[in-house]
Amino acid sequence: MGFAYDFDWGVLWRQPYGIWLLQGLWLTIKIGFVAWIVAFFLGVLVGTLRVTPWRWLRFISTAYTEIFRNIPFLVQLFFWYYAGPMIFGESLGRQINQIVGLNFYVAILALGLYTASRVAEHMRAGFASISRDQYQAVLSTGMTQYQMYRYVIIPYALRIIIPPLTTEFLTIFKNSSVAMTIGVAELTFMSYRIDAETFHGLEATTGAMVIYLILGLTVVRAMGIIEARFKIPGMIGRE
Amino acid sequence: MIEIKNVNKWFGEFQVLTDINETIERGQTVVICGPSGSGKSTLLRCINGLEPYQKGQILVDGVSLSDPKTNLYKLRENIGMVFQRFELYPHMTALQNITLAPMKVRKLSKDKARKKAMELLQRVGIPDKADSYPANLSGGQQQRVAIARSLAMEPKYMMFDEPTSALDPEMIKEVLDVMIDLAKEGMTMLCVTHEMGFAREVADEIIFMDFGKIVERGTYEGFFKNPKSERAKEFLKQIL
Repeated sequence: MGFAYDFDWGVLWRQPYGIWLLQGLWLTIKIGFVAWIVAFFLGVLVGTLRVTPWRWLRFISTAYTEIFRNIPFLVQLFFWYYAGPMIFGESLGRQINQIVGLNFYVAILALGLYTASRVAEHMRAGFASISRDQYQAVLSTGMTQYQMYRYVIIPYALRIIIPPLTTEFLTIFKNSSVAMTIGVAELTFMSYRIDAETFHGLEATTGAMVIYLILGLTVVRAMGIIEARFKIPGMIGRE
Repeated sequence: MIEIKNVNKWFGEFQVLTDINETIERGQTVVICGPSGSGKSTLLRCINGLEPYQKGQILVDGVSLSDPKTNLYKLRENIGMVFQRFELYPHMTALQNITLAPMKVRKLSKDKARKKAMELLQRVGIPDKADSYPANLSGGQQQRVAIARSLAMEPKYMMFDEPTSALDPEMIKEVLDVMIDLAKEGMTMLCVTHEMGFAREVADEIIFMDFGKIVERGTYEGFFKNPKSERAKEFLKQIL
């Protein structure tokens, strides 16, 4: 068997290339985690506001959801990176542009804002799956709307939507690879960089794939533990 | 005292309640019966402000529900409600279900709330189920926890919306027994139910509703034994 291509898997271990991949992985993890925290809390908030009785809050949160989930993530990322600083006016915009590691922060922000719209929609699905009488039962004990959502409905809905939230958490790591387009040296960026230096892109990309896979499976496992911990008896996780 | 004066309610074009008049004195037990869709549940939900009404007035201890200044949350603290499908919080234990509102609304300490909840569980006969989740309780047990959850707020009034119609026959009694005790202790109760035995034992008045109107009212003897209207006779033939 002859390949015109000269395989050299050693490139994945040889320094500095191996370290590059690990550095890329570390950045990917940092972006994914921080963006997830933004996405989770903002998504829960926006999703909850969409079903509250106050019309203008519903309007704002619905507008947010529809804007962020209907524009391609890549376009959003470019927008925040190239146009975002200009929102704050020319002089402040210039200062923002000089922030070291701006692209890293923008990647987190863009990914968090985008994923929040998706989390918000899952929340809405969770709320919709809770019966009207259940809401009324909470109110009948004298609790306010805020207390009802805070202590009963949100914890209940979150438990219902753990499976789709797992998918969103996974997706956030995968989507973080798009950050390479604004020069963030995350995992995918690093695999390209190895290719550029060594012409062994096939090995570098394969290495990146395997690392993404392991990262993803770890997240799935961790979320599985959370799901088991918070499962509603008699609902999710039937034996 | 709950005073319902000429209440009318529409869902869009559809009129669900028409000219409802009723007064419930403290300590009374009133049973509401009638075919499904007759507006019984809706009437209950109007009384604790879960549903708005468009015409007429409902006064709870002299406070009007349709007055925009009325704090409905505050008002609901005094009116417990028990639902057909129990509506316990499935992610909380029986004890947590009962202690939540006293802790959050009444600001009771955790210890006090727990102590009170255990007393209530004792009272409804299932103190051993304090740490069970709703899914691990029978329907009758769940409904008793739901009653305890309402009682934990020490309401002046209790409303029951077909509390036994989702239960197996042998569980109905355990729930009715709790309700009968409650009525005999002097709780003011408004019960949507077709349980004759319950009505016979404790009902001061029985209201029969159809198509959103009160068609007939009377005592147990008067209504169940000698219904006046044709509609009530027909209905009683079906359920007896």
